Amino acid sequence: MGILRKSVERLWLVVVLIVLWWFASAGSTSIFYPSLDTIVSTLWTDLASGLLIGYLGFSLGNLLAGLALALILGIGLGLLIGEIRWLGEAVEPFVDFLRSIPQVAIIPLIIGTFGLDAGPKIYSIAAGCIFPILLNTIDGVRGIEPTVRRFGKVYRISGPRYFRKVVLPGALPQIMAGVRVALPIGITVMVVSELYAARMGIGFYILNSSSTFHLTETWAGAVLVGIVGYLISIIFNLIERGSLRWYFKSGATTK
Amino acid sequence: MTTTAVTTPASGPVPGAAPELRVERLSIRFGQGESLNRVLEGLELSVAAGEFISIVGPSGVGKTTLLRCLSGLVQPTEGQVYVRGEAIKEPHPAVGVIFQDYSRSLLPWMTTAENIAFPLEGRFDKKERVARAEAALSSVGLAGQGRKYPWEMSGGMQQRVAIARGLAYEAKILLMDEPFASVDAQTRLNLEDLVADLQEKLGLTVVLVTHDIDEALYLSDRVVVLAGKPAAVVETLDTNFGDHRDQAATKSDPRFGEARTKILGILGH
Repeated sequence: MGILRKSVERLWLVVVLIVLWWFASAGSTSIFYPSLDTIVSTLWTDLASGLLIGYLGFSLGNLLAGLALALILGIGLGLLIGEIRWLGEAVEPFVDFLRSIPQVAIIPLIIGTFGLDAGPKIYSIAAGCIFPILLNTIDGVRGIEPTVRRFGKVYRISGPRYFRKVVLPGALPQIMAGVRVALPIGITVMVVSELYAARMGIGFYILNSSSTFHLTETWAGAVLVGIVGYLISIIFNLIERGSLRWYFKSGATTK
Repeated sequence: MTTTAVTTPASGPVPGAAPELRVERLSIRFGQGESLNRVLEGLELSVAAGEFISIVGPSGVGKTTLLRCLSGLVQPTEGQVYVRGEAIKEPHPAVGVIFQDYSRSLLPWMTTAENIAFPLEGRFDKKERVARAEAALSSVGLAGQGRKYPWEMSGGMQQRVAIARGLAYEAKILLMDEPFASVDAQTRLNLEDLVADLQEKLGLTVVLVTHDIDEALYLSDRVVVLAGKPAAVVETLDTNFGDHRDQAATKSDPRFGEARTKILGILGH
């Protein structure tokens, strides 16, 4: 019963809006505002033909690879920059410089430099996702309790073990908050990176259809990106709950 | 007191033995120029193996700074700390610290058993670590509670876990910084007796920082009073209420009252 009620609380508005959209757009003859009916059937046709599945696979593969790169670099560098004071002093001006550059603006540069394959798209996604992860990791590391650090020193826990078992878990709540911010950026850059120079991918599908006036397909692509984003955030929530069980539970106990 | 271990060293200083912990002309200053803060000046202290000493003094006098210096966390401006004859530059393996804010020094992402076993990594294999953690938990009265997380436990239980962690680490010298300051009165008495019991059984050397004079007198062989700015040892008081103490009997001993009055007098009450 609990789950059912929760689902109803969460989903009723979505259902209402879809129904409203359905009836408001029914019978539309505008090529700019096709009816939801035709959007859904176009989406279904292109999914069933395997075209969109292939595109989606390409795009999500890039997203995953870019995100993995951003996680490895962002968390790795963040732990070092946050923990080692002199390194932080030296590197932070560069971090502030780089993160002020809008990621979307440098995509043509990255593609121009690295070519038209999946590689530059992955780098673009990584470049967009790394900053929230990096900055949150640095903050998380610096926010670790002084007593925890004293414990580590007195009980002579050092080196990789100190980073892996003390600093990383201590900063993890903040790191996860950074990943939450990075995900929608990654999805945006994923789509935008395929608008410039691509022969496949969900972004290419959207651009190609809109420039050939198949606007129903443009709508279908946009709806698909939204659905993918929603599913990714659900998966992320599950991962976050699982990896930070102690954080949510101990927080609940003290409140 | 039941004696179960094979070797049960008696508590109290061994005459003629080298001091377990020695502090020589210790001075600590923070800041420079106008904002120079002279915390400790020319402090001398010697603690024998198996001795239990308490450091008392007003708030802000530098008790915690002194303890951090003994633990190797803070480097003195002048002077030197020796642990078992070695001049220390960093925390010494024979020294364990029990922190005041136990809820922060225990890692919330590890179970209590993992917290205790963690500092043993690299010294023992997994099986041995688990066994030692369980043994340490039993010795503080928490047998079988290793799978709980610290935040599932009361404050007193968490501080027991912190003590167990020091014991499993095989610390011979326990430095305790206001360890019972944030638990309720009844728990506090229980923890005091636990520490006294463990110290006697294991022959530990203990330095306890506290601002509770009764606690200091009840637990220690010797009470060191710090006062002044910069702080120095203004009085050292040997307690002579015997080795086996009891919360009710010892605290109503007339000598206990005299000692308390004397320390309160020194601290200006």
